[in-house]
Amino acid sequence: MHDLVAMEEVSRKFPMDHSYVNALDHTNFRVVPGEFMAIAGPSGSGKSTLLNLIGCIDKPTTGRVLLDGVDTSTLKTTRLTALRRDKIGFVFQTFNLIPVFTASENVEFPLLLQGMPAQERRDRVSVALDSVGLTERAKHRPDLLSGGERQRVAVARAIVHRPALVLADEPTANLDTRNATQLIDLMRDLNRRLGLTFIFSTHDQRLLEHADRIVELCDGRVTSDRKSDSLSKRGQSCGSFSCSRLEMSSGTGAGH
Amino acid sequence: MTLTMVGGGVAGLLLVGGFFAFMFRGLRESTINNGLGHLQIYTANHFRRDETRALETGIDHWQQVAGVVSSGRHVRGVAPRIEFYGIISNGVKSSVFMGSAVDPDSEKGLGFTPRLTAGRDLDGKPSGEMEALIGTGVARSMNVKVGDGLTLLAVTSDGALNGVDVQIVGLVNTGYKEVDDRYLRITLPSAQRLLQSDRVTNLVVGLDATENTDQVWAELAPPLRGLPQEVTLKKWVELATYYNQVKTLFSGIFLFLGIIVFFMVVMSSVNTLLMAMLERTREIGTMLAMGTPRSWVVGLFVLEATLIGVLGALAGVVGGNLIGTMLNHAGLHMPPPPGLTVDLAFRVLHVPSLMIGSSLLVISSLALASILPAVRASRLQIAEALAHV
Repeated sequence: MHDLVAMEEVSRKFPMDHSYVNALDHTNFRVVPGEFMAIAGPSGSGKSTLLNLIGCIDKPTTGRVLLDGVDTSTLKTTRLTALRRDKIGFVFQTFNLIPVFTASENVEFPLLLQGMPAQERRDRVSVALDSVGLTERAKHRPDLLSGGERQRVAVARAIVHRPALVLADEPTANLDTRNATQLIDLMRDLNRRLGLTFIFSTHDQRLLEHADRIVELCDGRVTSDRKSDSLSKRGQSCGSFSCSRLEMSSGTGAGH
Repeated sequence: MTLTMVGGGVAGLLLVGGFFAFMFRGLRESTINNGLGHLQIYTANHFRRDETRALETGIDHWQQVAGVVSSGRHVRGVAPRIEFYGIISNGVKSSVFMGSAVDPDSEKGLGFTPRLTAGRDLDGKPSGEMEALIGTGVARSMNVKVGDGLTLLAVTSDGALNGVDVQIVGLVNTGYKEVDDRYLRITLPSAQRLLQSDRVTNLVVGLDATENTDQVWAELAPPLRGLPQEVTLKKWVELATYYNQVKTLFSGIFLFLGIIVFFMVVMSSVNTLLMAMLERTREIGTMLAMGTPRSWVVGLFVLEATLIGVLGALAGVVGGNLIGTMLNHAGLHMPPPPGLTVDLAFRVLHVPSLMIGSSLLVISSLALASILPAVRASRLQIAEALAHV
């Protein structure tokens, strides 16, 4: 199976005062289509930076990020924009719905960007909202929706254009247990039913328990990359996110 | 805030522009109806050289010219005039006068009636006594009143000095002190007797409406070219020096106000739109992350600003017209402007071209003001924008 995402010796440095901070340091891993993968790690470990690089909204300082075989590190802004529009769906921690749009308009927006005909857009929006169980709330603006509903609208928006990859940055962080559980079940269901690839960053143990694979980051380096069934058994871990650095090569792949 | 600024700007421009339009129209009609007429006919030589003797460049056989003009569409009448000057005397004191000789019936037919403060207008019927209207300034200077006599002295068309006695039948206040101090008006036969000539200086043509001036001018020009004596047809606007000066001055003031409004709208809008951009940083970041082209973001900001401009302009047009109507019903008056001795009514005209022009001004101002925030928004770093709090 071909790689959907490939990180090859990826580093990302940010200038700070008169020096640099290594947000990511020589990171390597690959993701195949259909994975339900978590990126875990404490605050400042580089989770968001990693998602930004995979999501083509940032570029590595060194190394290559390949999305569906295309080296995104060298692409121009317009190509990156088109790549994000067509291949990636985003779910944000703070939902990031457009406040003046209704739920259905928010979901419709990615299709509008693709220049899809109106009738097809309506059909797709209807299916997407139905898949997240929000058909009844289609005409409501975000401020009239609960946090869980907003995040489900965000998920519908992320999948409506049938992207190859859905990136979710701490999707359950602002949700209570009930809504978080619903969202996790929803994402897992979409992953299994539609074969959508999910990569999400999280602190949430509930979400981690559902992940097929967990990549742990600490200080910008991959400290663990393993299947989730082994997670609970591991003795040496970053599971509490205390950043006890593992002596595992940050270049370790996913094992496929 | 921006909407209020835009609406206020448009309303302000409409009120000021509407008042100026009322002044222009009032000045135009008063200029025309005070005797200028809509069109005037002179000999071509009148504008080529100065006269060395009275009526040297006057119109011969003016009745023939008047006959051609009178047959034109929209023509209400034709009034012959003689413009001359000389010395007026009460036997003790003499002064220079600027005289105008008219056919009273033709003048009345065109609605040209002098503003009398005493006595009556000239009588068109031939009589033994030569009548005159004089300005209030002349009357004061000569220490005369209605019914008194004065002597007029002028150089004839042959170069000789001639004099006639006139009886004052009325006093005139034109509204302009300088004119009132030199004003004299007598009948056409009286002037022709004084100047010893059958010619007239010009023919004044009155139309049914000022708006028809250009059309009538175009229609009358060809037949007038066929006359034995070369004549020139002038539109009122070419002869209304004072009107043009006033219009130029007030147009300049209005332009200045327009520029101020433009800058006020631009400056306040840039600030507001930049604030809006900051508030919406995460939203813009989200849109960009989802693959919205940066040009769309620019377009979105410009479109939003333009929409605010349209709404503001609409509110301004409605508000401006409403306030204008209320002011018109209040019956306000302005004190006399420099050079005039009578006060002016305060009215605001509802001018469609002004509404369109003011609206376009503020809409384009807002569109222009949105460019900087729009470009800044489109250049946001997505990752930073998404992390914006």
